[in-house]
Amino acid sequence: MMLEHILVLSAYLFSIGIYGLITSRNMVRALMCLELILNAVNINFLKGNIFSIFVIAIAAAEASIGSAIVSSIYRNRKSTRINQSTLLNK
Amino acid sequence: MKSISIYLSLILHRMDLPGPIHDFLLVFLGSGLILGGLGVVLLTNPIYSAFSLGLVLVCISLFYILSNSHFVAAAQLLIYVGAINVLILFAVMFINGSEYYKDFNLWTIGNGLTSLVCTSILVSLITTILDTSWYGIIWTTRSNQIIEQDLISNSQQIGIHLATDFFLPFEFISIILLVALIGAIAVARQ
Repeated sequence: MMLEHILVLSAYLFSIGIYGLITSRNMVRALMCLELILNAVNINFLKGNIFSIFVIAIAAAEASIGSAIVSSIYRNRKSTRINQSTLLNK
Repeated sequence: MKSISIYLSLILHRMDLPGPIHDFLLVFLGSGLILGGLGVVLLTNPIYSAFSLGLVLVCISLFYILSNSHFVAAAQLLIYVGAINVLILFAVMFINGSEYYKDFNLWTIGNGLTSLVCTSILVSLITTILDTSWYGIIWTTRSNQIIEQDLISNSQQIGIHLATDFFLPFEFISIILLVALIGAIAVARQ
């Protein structure tokens, strides 16, 4: 019973994260929804507890690179709208 | 005092909570997760949504405690709430702008289509989860676990796995972390 509750909650977090990632016009909110997706996947590895550590480490590396990219985009263009997709062309 | 410490160590190693407390904690954490997930996506102020993400991460850490994985719960609390959430808050507050309060979040056709696709994904996942018989699958894949699983703690299990089976991914993870940090610093400088 507990296993199915946790899996249903992780599916809910996954779908909410995908919805937020696609329909967010703000890059930092997209980063936050990406962390939601990674946590939803991470909670599925209950009994294989070594793989959760690897997913946490990968998510940490990706969050640092994502925030570095967002800050460099903001410094260049002064706006963080997501539909200006040629921002890193300079 | 010694009896209290023995009692606490037994509780923390063998987390067999009584039934009603277990169910109450599940319902409480589940509702916290549902509301926090909605708050990340739907709140307009990005600082509020970052704090709601912090609530989601703390609830997930408590789920790990309920599932007897204490090391992963502590790692989640330290790394996700302590480092990644603070990094996201820093990015949110550093990239402030007056454009956030004009972000009306109009309900476009793309939003409606995405919500339709996401609810269909959610419904298909839930029907797949509720139709699978999990105890048969878990019982037949017990071959590659450590023999004395209930006698050693969770952090010792992780240590044994890291040293024997997952030694190569451990080295690769350290290289990935090094490269990611150097790359992030190189991108974020002037």
